[in-house]
Amino acid sequence: MSTFTIPITRPGARARLSRRARLILIRLGLVVVVLGVWELLWLVHAFPKQVPDPIAVIVAIVRLLIAAVFWNALGQTLFGALIGWLVAAAIGIVLGVAIGTSGFLTRSVEVVLEFGRSFPVIALMPMVVLVIGVNPRMEVFMVALSCCWPILIQAIAGSRRQDQALVDMSRVFRISRARRFRRVTIPGALPFITTGLRVALSIALLVDVGVGVLSQTPGIGRNISLSQDAGRWDVAFAYILLIGLVGWGVNWLVRLIERRALRWARQEA
Amino acid sequence: MGILRKSVERLWLVVVLIVLWWFASAGSTSIFYPSLDTIVSTLWTDLASGLLIGYLGFSLGNLLAGLALALILGIGLGLLIGEIRWLGEAVEPFVDFLRSIPQVAIIPLIIGTFGLDAGPKIYSIAAGCIFPILLNTIDGVRGIEPTVRRFGKVYRISGPRYFRKVVLPGALPQIMAGVRVALPIGITVMVVSELYAARMGIGFYILNSSSTFHLTETWAGAVLVGIVGYLISIIFNLIERGSLRWYFKSGATTK
Repeated sequence: MSTFTIPITRPGARARLSRRARLILIRLGLVVVVLGVWELLWLVHAFPKQVPDPIAVIVAIVRLLIAAVFWNALGQTLFGALIGWLVAAAIGIVLGVAIGTSGFLTRSVEVVLEFGRSFPVIALMPMVVLVIGVNPRMEVFMVALSCCWPILIQAIAGSRRQDQALVDMSRVFRISRARRFRRVTIPGALPFITTGLRVALSIALLVDVGVGVLSQTPGIGRNISLSQDAGRWDVAFAYILLIGLVGWGVNWLVRLIERRALRWARQEA
Repeated sequence: MGILRKSVERLWLVVVLIVLWWFASAGSTSIFYPSLDTIVSTLWTDLASGLLIGYLGFSLGNLLAGLALALILGIGLGLLIGEIRWLGEAVEPFVDFLRSIPQVAIIPLIIGTFGLDAGPKIYSIAAGCIFPILLNTIDGVRGIEPTVRRFGKVYRISGPRYFRKVVLPGALPQIMAGVRVALPIGITVMVVSELYAARMGIGFYILNSSSTFHLTETWAGAVLVGIVGYLISIIFNLIERGSLRWYFKSGATTK
């Protein structure tokens, strides 16, 4: 049989490769078209005067990439987002699993969770700035408060949803509560928790940039509003495109880690 | 009896938290943490005077308009991108990238370009809300069962009618899930766009009172934003349940 499969798979592989090449070409073409239209519209002054020349934006991106200012700001933003996220993760997972193991508690916190999830935490900014001040502690507080909700909600949902067969089995084998918690509840909740953590991480980055824009804590957000105040819209655009790229990269990396770490969970599904 | 027990179970914590807040803050003299008593009475005075009602109308009007814009663009583009395979493959990385741009970071640009009126706030809200709706529409369209599509083909339903009668209802549950994600983003962008620069609105009320050290009003504004956000989420639940009744009934979720 194997002698037949070899010649069959070969042309298939080549076709896929060329399809892929064509896809890349289409995508590149799309970039060129968008940039071209933007440049053209800019040349005929079709945009409001603040919209920069795309060429200037590209130049600004290259300049930022070799400037210490950008890497410093990026470091500060990532650091603030990461610390806030870690704090939220610790609180959210512990509280969530504790609440989720009890049906009564889960029903009790429902309204509070719904409230917290729909609350725009950033509306508290002016108040938090007055109470804590403009400093890294405020930044971490805002990030943690914003991104603890998805983690909390997912941790509760994950520890509620248990495989009935596993629960029955651990009862039949008289497995102690502590052991059942460690070997059944936690592994069952993990896929849910990682989803919460992933969602929370992108919220963390977003909130940290937002806090920078509004309160001028050092970081990418601050540099965006500074370059805008200085009339350097090309630099502001460059910052926004770069932070978008960073967010994209972070998301991609986290998905990769999640897929690796939870390979066992997907095999069952 | 069952209903009574259920509502007690769901509400006791909320009541306890409010009572705790009430007594812990009673008689507070700190300007940072006013008593809940004064917060509520300030909220009531400003609501009764019509000031906050007007601000709330402005903010919620922007939210609705922005959401409507995001729905039209998100669902329209999502149906196309989800249905036309080469288009989806071509634009996928760009959608992913655009979605990663922090919504709040573009608010200064939009407001700086278009000014302080309602328009730029609506654009900002739409820009924030569009991505969850778009991505969920794409997923929903791609997840439609092949049998449903084949039925559409067999009955020769084509063109706009095919989109309206086959693709859109098939993707609706997923689209609703996208709107659910978009709502809190919309509320956040609404408030931030007003915190950044505005002449009215609930975010303006919060910022203005805090920069003049009237912190009771700042608290009142934050409480109001919370209540409004919660009410919106409850209203959306009702809409979702109503519009997807056929879906829940069909047992599609139990499979």
